[in-house]
Amino acid sequence: MIIDSLQHQAGSALPSAAKARLCLLCLASLLLLPATSGADAPEGYPFLSFDQAMAQSQRESKPLFVYFGRYGCGYCEKTNREAFIDPSVRERYTANYALAYVDAESGRRIRLHSGERITERELGTRYRALVTPVFTFLTPDGEPIYRMIGVQRIEDLIEADEKIQATLSKAVQ
Amino acid sequence: MTVTKPAVILLWLLPSAMLIAAPWEFDKAIDVSGFAGGDGNFFHHLDSSGRRNIAVSGRHLAIAWEDDRSGTPRIYLGHKPATEAGFGRETRISGDGEAYEPSLAALGDGRFAVAWEEDGHIRLRLVAIGESPVLGPVETIDSGPSTQVSLTADGEKVIAVWSRRSGRYGRIQAARLRVDDDMRLEPVIGCAVDAAPPADEQLYPTAVLINDRLLVIWEDRRPKHTIIMAAIESKGQACRFSDPQRISEKPEGRNLPYGSGHGVSRAAVGRFGDQGVFAVWADKRNFRDGYDIWGARFIPSENRFGSNEKVQDDFGGLAKQRHATIAGHGDGSLIVAWDDEREGDTDIVMSWYQAGEWSEDWLLPVASGEGQQSSPSILLDPRGDLHICWVERAQTGGATQLKYAFGRNLEAK
Repeated sequence: MIIDSLQHQAGSALPSAAKARLCLLCLASLLLLPATSGADAPEGYPFLSFDQAMAQSQRESKPLFVYFGRYGCGYCEKTNREAFIDPSVRERYTANYALAYVDAESGRRIRLHSGERITERELGTRYRALVTPVFTFLTPDGEPIYRMIGVQRIEDLIEADEKIQATLSKAVQ
Repeated sequence: MTVTKPAVILLWLLPSAMLIAAPWEFDKAIDVSGFAGGDGNFFHHLDSSGRRNIAVSGRHLAIAWEDDRSGTPRIYLGHKPATEAGFGRETRISGDGEAYEPSLAALGDGRFAVAWEEDGHIRLRLVAIGESPVLGPVETIDSGPSTQVSLTADGEKVIAVWSRRSGRYGRIQAARLRVDDDMRLEPVIGCAVDAAPPADEQLYPTAVLINDRLLVIWEDRRPKHTIIMAAIESKGQACRFSDPQRISEKPEGRNLPYGSGHGVSRAAVGRFGDQGVFAVWADKRNFRDGYDIWGARFIPSENRFGSNEKVQDDFGGLAKQRHATIAGHGDGSLIVAWDDEREGDTDIVMSWYQAGEWSEDWLLPVASGEGQQSSPSILLDPRGDLHICWVERAQTGGATQLKYAFGRNLEAK
């Protein structure tokens, strides 16, 4: 689409060699773009499958942060692009939580602490991820602490982290 | 008819939809498996692609499931004479590997084909139910890592469809199988359903035969979100499929916040009447309230599916629905059942075609109320009696039981 548009704008004023260079430039730009709206876990974060993250959560005695997304989810992509991109969010969430990404439509199998085998889709149902994205903070035993629904801004993620950390500090005292 | 959200809330306050008259009278639910050994900490699953876990052949009814009673997920088959009340001791079907998602299809004379995933491959065997079950040899029908098999049968024809890993993505495969005198199920012809290499995941297929033409439907992620797609064989040309067509429609309206598109999942398909075919799936076009049950009818004369129809009624608009299963009959009956949380806990809810429209939703009396009843699989036998199995548990995460109920057709002649 971009190539078509630029070619149209360039029209016949450009010599063919210049048109070819322009096309290659456009193609290179396209290839450098991230895949559109895959809405996977945000890049640069150590997101794990739910069962792996739960094991990490228990091993390191820190809460679990579960990102319930969906392939093609627009609000997930927006949150990835506008909030998770922030370095301070990345630093806080990577340090303070075991991170799990769950595709709420996926048939990927996971085994819960109880021994029960369910799919990521069933897990989404169990944690009421009716819409996506849903961000759920869990204790290492899987009990929900706090959840956020829909698009989140940088300040929303930071505020949520501060609340969770403050609650944890009080609990320790 | 379009119903606004306040109207839906008002409707919800009205008496439950279970007051409608249903054309079946159900016996009390019974346990499918009598196994009570081990520490009791094991879980049953009825989760075949296309939700085909129950079948009737001749006098015999069978149910295939997976549970991990031995610590390893394995496939079991429960069976009983269709007219008797209790199930006998179940038969283990799978080998020593990790086995999942069994699919069941009936051949004639008390014989059943069972397919499942074991150690990442598709296995299949024939079971003949007589005085005691006779098991045919286990065959492996894929040529690479595969999952999510679904079976269909018509007379002595058995067809398997599944998702085989092809590079980064799953790719839907189909195979026609022949039964030989030694109870072997051997592939006669097999192929990829979409001739083009996959551009993204192709998952959870299921299929029906229409006049010996195989119609396959599946989940496809090629538009960077999940859609339901279908392809049908050319007449008289096995494994020559039409170009895939999208059957889950894009919702009307501009600037809807779907990203690449809204979500759909887990299609099932059934035959009814002379040449009727209907596909159902869970659909998130109403993105604020989770999945609803939608479907579409196949138009044989045009080789395509028609417009999407909302199968469930508006009472369930604010609740979660999933696990749609479908059964049809030659007399034109067509029934869809699913998990539904409109009454709080998970119940089994059904709707059926009557006078060209979907009935009001009906909470199945034997599979609703306290606790959770989920993951139904249904079938209509030749008399039009309805057979249903499901997974039951007292609370989320608790121990499971496998249940069955018989629904007598009150309108059978």
